[in-house]
Amino acid sequence: MRPLGFDPVADTRRTFRALLRVMSRPGTVERVPRPADRAVIATLVDHEITVSTDDERLAETLADQGRLASAPPREADVVHVLAHDRFDVRECKRGTLVEPATGATVVYRVEDVRAEPGGEASPALTTARLCGPGVDGETTLSVSVSPEALRALGEVQSSYPRGVDAIFAAPDRLGAIPRSTTLELASNTTTPEAI
Amino acid sequence: MTEHEQTGLADDASAETATEGGTNDNRQPDRGTPIRAETVDAALDALHGEGMAGYSYAYLDEHTKREVRRATLKAIAIPGHQVPYASRPMPLARGWGTGGIQVSLSVLGPDDTFKVIDQGTDGSVNAANIRRLAEETANVSTTTDTTEADVIQTRHRIPEEVLCDDQLLVLQVPVTDPLRKVDPSDAANRKRHAHRNYGKMWVHLYENVVEWGEINIGASYPTMVAGRYLMSPSPIPRWDTPKLDDADHLSIFAAGREARIYAVPPNTRVKPLAFEDRQFTVERFPDRACHLCGSEDTFLVELSETRDGSDGRFETCYVCNDTSFCEKRHSDPDRPKDHHLDREGVDWGPGTPDVPRTTADDAASERGESG
Repeated sequence: MRPLGFDPVADTRRTFRALLRVMSRPGTVERVPRPADRAVIATLVDHEITVSTDDERLAETLADQGRLASAPPREADVVHVLAHDRFDVRECKRGTLVEPATGATVVYRVEDVRAEPGGEASPALTTARLCGPGVDGETTLSVSVSPEALRALGEVQSSYPRGVDAIFAAPDRLGAIPRSTTLELASNTTTPEAI
Repeated sequence: MTEHEQTGLADDASAETATEGGTNDNRQPDRGTPIRAETVDAALDALHGEGMAGYSYAYLDEHTKREVRRATLKAIAIPGHQVPYASRPMPLARGWGTGGIQVSLSVLGPDDTFKVIDQGTDGSVNAANIRRLAEETANVSTTTDTTEADVIQTRHRIPEEVLCDDQLLVLQVPVTDPLRKVDPSDAANRKRHAHRNYGKMWVHLYENVVEWGEINIGASYPTMVAGRYLMSPSPIPRWDTPKLDDADHLSIFAAGREARIYAVPPNTRVKPLAFEDRQFTVERFPDRACHLCGSEDTFLVELSETRDGSDGRFETCYVCNDTSFCEKRHSDPDRPKDHHLDREGVDWGPGTPDVPRTTADDAASERGESG
């Protein structure tokens, strides 16, 4: 992963530790080496699993190391999402009841992800209220994706333990919504009163 | 001792076997590589240096780490579900903590402090060797103090001191599936997990009650995680099982031989299976205290040993199983288990009733109240 500017040992370990934290405590956000989405792919992907990505540079680097096994988004184990408007998470693999872990890991490249609720200061953020394992009561995660995208994710998670695990990668940090998390869109991130 | 010398000796040894080995009967046992040193410490020092060059950081190659890391993340996303992974051979036999080692080594980095315990003690040979493997290859600092550790690998205990938000507990697991004792078929049990069909385990517990009057499972008490999966908390005593419920720390369970990883995230409901009128109980040590530090609120183990003045007769005494905390209590007998936290009165360990409900009246009144 040196061509992408990552140290193949130290940077992937740092990214994994951040992933451990955000996955086990949904609603937290952790810093990782830039760019975060590529760091996540570099940490998790090799030829043992399939990946779907439109990032040509990344695919090329993986292929050069013999680590690329491509698949279309609906079949891939790891789905790298760049074009959000053309992507529907409901089409991704959710695993089976016997082997739910074969459900996809979806890595969204986003502009911004924050632990605190969005508001007038950041109208581009959609805020989800999260509860479930790893969350003490209830928490929030705000991501710069459309409300429809998060609603679709919520729909996918409703078939738990079948589902997908979502990782939101802003340029220098990560947030995650694992499938065990129940999510609900916060009433409205940009309420008329707020404006 | 340089790498070159080691290779030379290894060659000699194999040449010796080749010349002697006409028949298998004449084969000499491998006497290992002799090291000239006065003490064990000197011998270990002699092994430092060039010998480690050529090993990957943290011993595992990156391909293995990716496999373990993927399985670990899936395990966290599906609390209590056993995720299969490609378990690699480790430099010790399967069943001696190879799963735990793979998880620990794929997590550890140079900033971490690592603690390894084996049945509560940092000093056992297995624990010491695992600790040294990580120290040598991953360049981590090691400790025996629970409160100082970032990553704790453990066999069959959870430390007495409260674990915090930034700590990671890696538990070694011999038998991953709690249903195995009621049905040896792995395929059938995976279907049961898929449909949350745990009837057979309930029948097993019922039979236990009929036979013994209470549920007498010692370690590996079957436990429901987040209301979905039945999980074996690894052979920790019942005493430790409540510590997993709504914990601050992340627990990862790893089985190298069975090639499965599962996890309990922080703030997750973990409930030992029990009946309304036969509650989950922890081990009881009535009127016993550790004979070293005097603790009465820790998990004690029975020792039988001869002592001065006992004329060679064995005497039974009780000691804390967690040696590191026992040492602290020895110097400060009143030290609470949450002494290192800002908060006080943290509920850690047996917060469950320690007297089994035995009378039907009790059970009836309980039902009456709740109904």
